[in-house]
Amino acid sequence: MTQAVLDDPPLRHAAGRRRWLAPGTGLKLVVLGLLALLIVMPLLSTVLFTLTEESRGAWGDVLAGRLSRALFWQPLLNTLVIGVVVSVACVLLGGFLAWLVVMTDIPFRRTIGVMATLPFMIPSFASALAWGSLFRNGRLGGRVGWLEGMGFSVPDWLAWGMVPTLVVLSLHYFSLAFTIIAAALATVSSDLVEAAQIAGARGRRILMGIVLPVVTPALVAAGSLCFAGAVSNFATPALLGLPVRMQTLATRLYGMISVGQTARGYVIGILLVLISAAVLWAANRAVSGRRSYATITGKGGRAKRFALGRARLPLLLVAALILACATVVPVIVLFASSLAPSSAALFSNWTVHYWIGESNPAIAQGIPGIVHNPDILRAITVTLTLGVAVAGAGMALGLLAAYATARSRAGWLSATITQVSFLPLLVPGIAFGAAYIAWAGAPIGPFPALYGTFLLLVIAGTAYLVPFSVQTGRAVIQQVSGELDESARLTGAGLARRLWAITVPLAVRGLAAGGILIFVKIIRDLSLVVLLFTPTMPVMSVLAYRYASEGFTQFANAITCVILVLSVAATLLAERLQARSQPWLKS
Amino acid sequence: MLELRSVTKRFGDVDAVREVSLSVPDGAFLVLLGPSGCGKTTLLRMLAGLEMPSAGQIVFDGQVVSDGDRAWAVDPARRNSGLVFQSYALWPHMTVRGNVEWPLKVAGMARPEREARVAEVLRMLGIDGLARRFPNEISGGQQQRVAIARTIAPRPGVLLFDEPLSNLDAKLRVEMRTELMRLHRATGATTVYVTHDQIEAMTMASHVAVMRAGRVEQFGTPLDLVERPETAFVATFVGTPPGNLVPVRRNGTGWVVGGRHMPLEPPADGAQALFRAETLRLEGAEGPRTLPLELAEVSTIAGRVMVTAIAPDLRLTAVTEALPAARVGETVHIGLPETPAAWFAPTGERIG
Ligand SMILES: Nc1ncnc2c1ncn2[C@@H]1O[C@H](COP(=O)(O)OP(=O)(O)O)[C@@H](O)[C@H]1O
Ligand SMILES: [Mg+2]
Repeated sequence: MTQAVLDDPPLRHAAGRRRWLAPGTGLKLVVLGLLALLIVMPLLSTVLFTLTEESRGAWGDVLAGRLSRALFWQPLLNTLVIGVVVSVACVLLGGFLAWLVVMTDIPFRRTIGVMATLPFMIPSFASALAWGSLFRNGRLGGRVGWLEGMGFSVPDWLAWGMVPTLVVLSLHYFSLAFTIIAAALATVSSDLVEAAQIAGARGRRILMGIVLPVVTPALVAAGSLCFAGAVSNFATPALLGLPVRMQTLATRLYGMISVGQTARGYVIGILLVLISAAVLWAANRAVSGRRSYATITGKGGRAKRFALGRARLPLLLVAALILACATVVPVIVLFASSLAPSSAALFSNWTVHYWIGESNPAIAQGIPGIVHNPDILRAITVTLTLGVAVAGAGMALGLLAAYATARSRAGWLSATITQVSFLPLLVPGIAFGAAYIAWAGAPIGPFPALYGTFLLLVIAGTAYLVPFSVQTGRAVIQQVSGELDESARLTGAGLARRLWAITVPLAVRGLAAGGILIFVKIIRDLSLVVLLFTPTMPVMSVLAYRYASEGFTQFANAITCVILVLSVAATLLAERLQARSQPWLKS
Repeated sequence: MLELRSVTKRFGDVDAVREVSLSVPDGAFLVLLGPSGCGKTTLLRMLAGLEMPSAGQIVFDGQVVSDGDRAWAVDPARRNSGLVFQSYALWPHMTVRGNVEWPLKVAGMARPEREARVAEVLRMLGIDGLARRFPNEISGGQQQRVAIARTIAPRPGVLLFDEPLSNLDAKLRVEMRTELMRLHRATGATTVYVTHDQIEAMTMASHVAVMRAGRVEQFGTPLDLVERPETAFVATFVGTPPGNLVPVRRNGTGWVVGGRHMPLEPPADGAQALFRAETLRLEGAEGPRTLPLELAEVSTIAGRVMVTAIAPDLRLTAVTEALPAARVGETVHIGLPETPAAWFAPTGERIG
């Protein structure tokens, strides 16, 4: 019976048949094409530009020429110092706070947990500006900061250069380390610790034998991410280091491109990418051999916490001090200095001129307050539009990429899409901006040059945030199981209709939250847009940076306050939408 | 007619389905029966057009709808088939009515016709009172009915079910079984039904394909499978209770079963004898054809008694009229009939 059917007459094929390469191959090719255009092409054109006949000399100039010490080696040294010190400091600070919040009976755990994630919502140039308002001394002329105004004398090393840069960056990036380490510590269930106690282990033994091995991958990951963030940060060294000629690779890259030495700038950018990528790659290699322990432990209740005893209050004070320096103080200083005519007297003679005043030649060379200042108003409009556009484009692209690769993860197409979409993580924002100049600065085929257009900002922002949007897209798609979509496919609904009627409604909360976070990342970004900025397309962060470097700190700080309020409000809204679970905060 | 011609599916180097060939007439109720992981879902998904066969053809009514050798297939929506997923896959953001109506909307059915059809199917499945509820507001059994209603609403010619009853409790399962058969008679659609439960297969099917490791071990009617099992696997997988398979070995003086010499004449050394449960007897004392075994389980079924007894490498189930005198853990003597129902080679195929 099973054999009989094979001898039947030749078969007719049904009408309406369709050739399939494999399910979804076409869609994957489209996605890969888009990603290539957005990410690979800019990076490739940067590299190719430095290899052309005229520009090839730049490699020699930067690496070995007469100026190479000033161009590259000294900035490299500074960059590495910043990377190493900041990442160590972040792991220590973040790890300390994560341990307090997750493993101990410190009072106000919940508050500490929330506060520790805040600094990352504040743009890093906000803290740098606040630092200036407090510690600036008379060395460069111009106004002095609050401390000098109070009669203290601030030494140069505390006012400018390496030390303030290290402090500000550490206080910014530690919250990244906190988030990663706290999540890992939360997987160390109390069962695990109790099992060790039953086996006879005590305090130190449990820490070294059980807790540390489980969180080591998280420590390495946190350290490497903080390193990558610190070496590519532009705003802080630019505001605190450049005035005393302390250069990092990021500020050098900016300088080279703004004076028109494009090829040298690109070479420095490529080297910066290589350094940051090498560290991330090495860290990933170091921990990828280990298994992820998180899944083995399952959900253990955290019944017992480590009792701090008499150390409770002192430790609480330390934590409060760290958090105050990282969040409360900068915000207060920024706000106060946007009201104070002189940063030497931050808390007196307050005026709202910098917010709502008309132009007055006696104050700040006649620059009108924010609400009357056409430049700033235009920057606000452009920035908000940009944020919305990038959020929309980013979530659309992320959803498409995640959708295309969700059903069949296997195959080289899916693997390539995944790898390309995470490429921007390895590229510092300022280098990515430079790559976009290389790619879109000149006409491409029949298309005009995009430099200076709004479209370029949108494309660059979307491309830069692809890793984030694809990740969000994945999470969203996972909520919508494959079978929900397949049962819609069986009805004959096309891709667009299925997205519209099934996938999007199910995913809309996750999408909205993801979109808002992209919006926040864009409106507070400086390093990506600082090179793409043109006076016709101003954005708030760059305008704030310009005002600050020209000495109009009140305007810079007022704009930063606006960004700050927008960022925090939007982030809180997104978290609400997501109802994000923070396992380490559950009691 | 629904026909499979040497259908094969490979995932990387896993052969999920190998060379499956069978055909059933229109209106048949085909059950794919096999243990978990044997490739049933994969085969069903190929029928639905969600997976492309790696080789072989699928033919509905004389028209090829999937051709693995040429890597093309008719779009899932154009195959005139409907699939009920094991997870039901109800769209959680649509009401019961919305779930049933949306496929009709996609198919471009006009509104009055659509509403009439939705009302009709909801009534047919007894869920018309739930039309405005959302899937998370109704019970598992009701969700199951919604999933079925959604699938039959567009009147597919081929209905595909993936273990539809496995998530329901025992009582509901029996009710739904009857309901599904009623539905099958009412719609007349050719049905392919995947399950690992041989009772479902035996009660519902017009045709059964017993699958194992991607292959069809035997294809036939439920009666065929019980009366003429072609492999040892089929013999021990179907029937209530399933048949007893007993290895028979030669030693110096004769044939040994469970450590005792028996007057049996196996066709080959190492062959396995099939004894049906109803042919085994519970003996009061040791005899020439009895095996001393430890009593393991006793249960009454419809006035008769099902007795299971074990030895280190043997497990026999007998159906008898009276309760055994022995208690669980004590020794009982199980009497074997003179000739077994069938003989199987050590490799599993039938040899007598
Ligand atoms: N998408 C897939 N990728 C790889 N292997 C798969 C995939 N789907 C099924 N398999 C494998 O094919 C075999 C049969 O699976 P399946 O058809 O789901 O079995 P059943 O439904 O009978 O339990 C299993 O070994 C399973 O691991
Ligand atoms: Mg299955």
